[in-house]
Amino acid sequence: MTTSPYRPEFEAALALLAQVSERMRARGFTRPILVGGAAAEYYSGSAIATGDFDLCSTVQPELEEEMRRHGFVRPSGPGKSTRGWVHPELRLGFEIVADVPMDGNVDRAHIMLVDDFVPGHSFAIIAVEDLIADRMGQYASGTARDRLEQARLLYQLNSGVDKAYLDRRIREESSGDYGISDLED
Amino acid sequence: MASRTSKTDREDWPGPRVNHADFAARLAARRTELHLPEAPRNAGTHRTASKRALLKAIEDIGGKW
Repeated sequence: MTTSPYRPEFEAALALLAQVSERMRARGFTRPILVGGAAAEYYSGSAIATGDFDLCSTVQPELEEEMRRHGFVRPSGPGKSTRGWVHPELRLGFEIVADVPMDGNVDRAHIMLVDDFVPGHSFAIIAVEDLIADRMGQYASGTARDRLEQARLLYQLNSGVDKAYLDRRIREESSGDYGISDLED
Repeated sequence: MASRTSKTDREDWPGPRVNHADFAARLAARRTELHLPEAPRNAGTHRTASKRALLKAIEDIGGKW
C-alpha cells in the first residue's frame, strides 16, 4: 500500500471539499474549483504547504449554503472580518475568493476532476499549468520572488503537463517576460 | 499528467480527470525519484486582510495550518 504524500490535516480538508463538491453536483450546481495555495499543495504532494484553502464558484450563495450544512460557520467577533468560513470540529477554513480562476483567463477544458478522493466523491482543481503560470506571474511582478521555486517544483513533479499550453499561459501571466524555458534552467 | 477514464456511467467532465489514489502514488514516487526537498512555506506577505483574519480564526479554534 502506498503511503500518502499529503499532510493529514490537508487530506481532511480535501475530504470535506469532496463532500461539498459532490452535494453541489447532486443539486445541479457547478462544482467549486480549488485554486491557489491548496492547489499547489495538492499538485506537490504537500511539498508546498500553505495556509490557504481557496475556492472559486459561480454559485457562491448555494455553495455557502452547502458549506453551512457541512458544519462551516462564519468567524465572528472583533478583528474577524473575513470572507472565509471555518469548520469548528475539523478546525480548518475555506475561502471563496472569486467566481472563476485567474479572472477567467484559464481554459476550462484544462480544469481537472480528481475522482474518488474518498469513494464516490470527486473535486475540481485548477490545471497545474495555470497554477504554474500564476506563480510565474507573481514572480514576474517582482513582489514574490519565492514563487519561481514553487513553479519549478510543480513543473518537476508533474511531468505530463501540456507544454504548449503551459508556455502560452506563462507568457500571458508574465506579460511575455518568461516562458517554459525559465522552468528548465 | 492526467489519465482519462472511459467509464460512461460517470460524470461527463470536459477536462482531464485522475483517480486520486493513482495520482498520489505517482506524486510520491516522483518526489522520491527527484530527491526533492520540502519547499518553504509561503511567506504570507501578500495575504489579504480577509485571509489573515480567516487564518487567525482557524488558529483560535485550535487549527494547525
